[in-house]
Amino acid sequence: MPPPLLVDADATLGRNPRADVGDGGVTALLERMDRVGVAAALVGHSWSRLHDPATGNALVSRLVAGRPRLAACWTLLPPGTGETGGPEEFARSAREHRVRAVRAYPADHGYELAGPDAAPMFAALAEAGLPLLLDAPQAGWPEVEALARRHPSLPVVVGRAGYRVLRRVAGVLERTGNVYVGTADLSSHRGLEWLAERFGPGRLVFGTGMPERDPAESVTRLLWSELPDEAVAAIGTGTLATLTDLDGLT
Amino acid sequence: MSAQTPAWPSPGSPALDVLDRRTPPPEFVDAHAHLGPYSLFFIPDHGAADLVRVMDRCGVARTLLSSHLAIQCDAAAGNDATAAAVAAFPDRLAGYLVVNPWQDPVAELSRWAGDPRFAGIKLHPSLHEYRLTGPRYRPVWEYAAERRCPVLTHTTSGLPYDDPAMVGEVAGRYPEVTILAGHSGLFRAGFDDAIEVARRHPNVVLELCGSFMHGDEISRMVGEVGSGQVVFGSDVPFIDLRMSLGRVIFARLSEADRRAVLGGTMRRVLATAPRAA
Repeated sequence: MPPPLLVDADATLGRNPRADVGDGGVTALLERMDRVGVAAALVGHSWSRLHDPATGNALVSRLVAGRPRLAACWTLLPPGTGETGGPEEFARSAREHRVRAVRAYPADHGYELAGPDAAPMFAALAEAGLPLLLDAPQAGWPEVEALARRHPSLPVVVGRAGYRVLRRVAGVLERTGNVYVGTADLSSHRGLEWLAERFGPGRLVFGTGMPERDPAESVTRLLWSELPDEAVAAIGTGTLATLTDLDGLT
Repeated sequence: MSAQTPAWPSPGSPALDVLDRRTPPPEFVDAHAHLGPYSLFFIPDHGAADLVRVMDRCGVARTLLSSHLAIQCDAAAGNDATAAAVAAFPDRLAGYLVVNPWQDPVAELSRWAGDPRFAGIKLHPSLHEYRLTGPRYRPVWEYAAERRCPVLTHTTSGLPYDDPAMVGEVAGRYPEVTILAGHSGLFRAGFDDAIEVARRHPNVVLELCGSFMHGDEISRMVGEVGSGQVVFGSDVPFIDLRMSLGRVIFARLSEADRRAVLGGTMRRVLATAPRAA
């Protein structure tokens, strides 16, 4: 069986103010991907998180244009202030720009993940078939569960969970069907195998967190896992392909 | 590709084994690991047999470990657990004797003196809330100096218990003791401090596990202090063994440096010391 295709659902372009990750450019990202065997990536931009989401979204779409291995991942804000547009407008524009997933940073951006302010945006994402990507430190697991229950057709992928969270994650995965775990910094020893055996590889989405995190972590962990080839392939690409359109990327 | 750029992965690189999902030959040495459950969070598999099975999967020949019971709660009972695990897998595991400064260090050192199951000593000053430079640790340094056994200490940059500068202080006091700076300061800003300590003290070795470590930092450390002062550690079963290993396997290192970090340097450290304890 050939090596599984790896599509990274957690990569970022742009400078990082708290770590030396280089210039954050497309060339450097592609070099990192090549080094560890990642075929394609959904990429956000650090400006969307740390400067201005609307500006960062436009920038990342420009940067990935003409790059067949990269697809843009935009960041949303609650619609009340109009910064990233109204819900339908945002979702329609994302689709027009071939955005494959949307990120939210509720802790950094000052709103409640499961509150009423951002709810119309999440409903619009679900309607448009766009999954939501979250970093675990951005919201508590009860909030993630509340969001998933409120929007049962919205896939919610939670990455960067660390190594101290399986007691919380297990309950949320049991009680919901639309919460997924990203593999960037999913670092409990044999946690990947435990989650895949208990909940199925269809609840796990490959991500690296690069360049802030070393992509070699997620790649080595998955490829040297004790999981069967089919499960490795599902985590590497298959699960994400069920959540969003990967046409043209893989 | 220019003539100056080596092919990647270079022939023989373990990166090829990762990318092909092959099991590599058993040659790596893990200088920082643990064993057993931990109260703060769930660990799916934390037993010695589970660990050896995963070591087999990814080419780790030998692991040096201390039990979670020893570092978190009860050094004496935990050292018993470490010794039992090593006895079950004597060719694959070696123990660190945990010395808790509040739990009669002299008695614990005496109890295990000469026991071949222990290859070194493990200190966790920030967990035990006692500074690395404090007098309660004096018996440890004297013991390690006499027996030429390595001491692995946790380090956390910026904490009053085990900042890298404190490693430098004890390394200067006991130049005959090899001190492994666990996590190399732990935080990114702390890596610079740990590198500086290792540059000043040839008896300090940078150990690489931790949630903020990155292959780019590993390359930098080797470039700054040489692969003879850098060793791979995983922190398994806190952290997945393969995550920590992957950072070294894919780091921008010569294959000679990679082999040293992944085992050669730690083998040399152990060879200069009779079994510790």
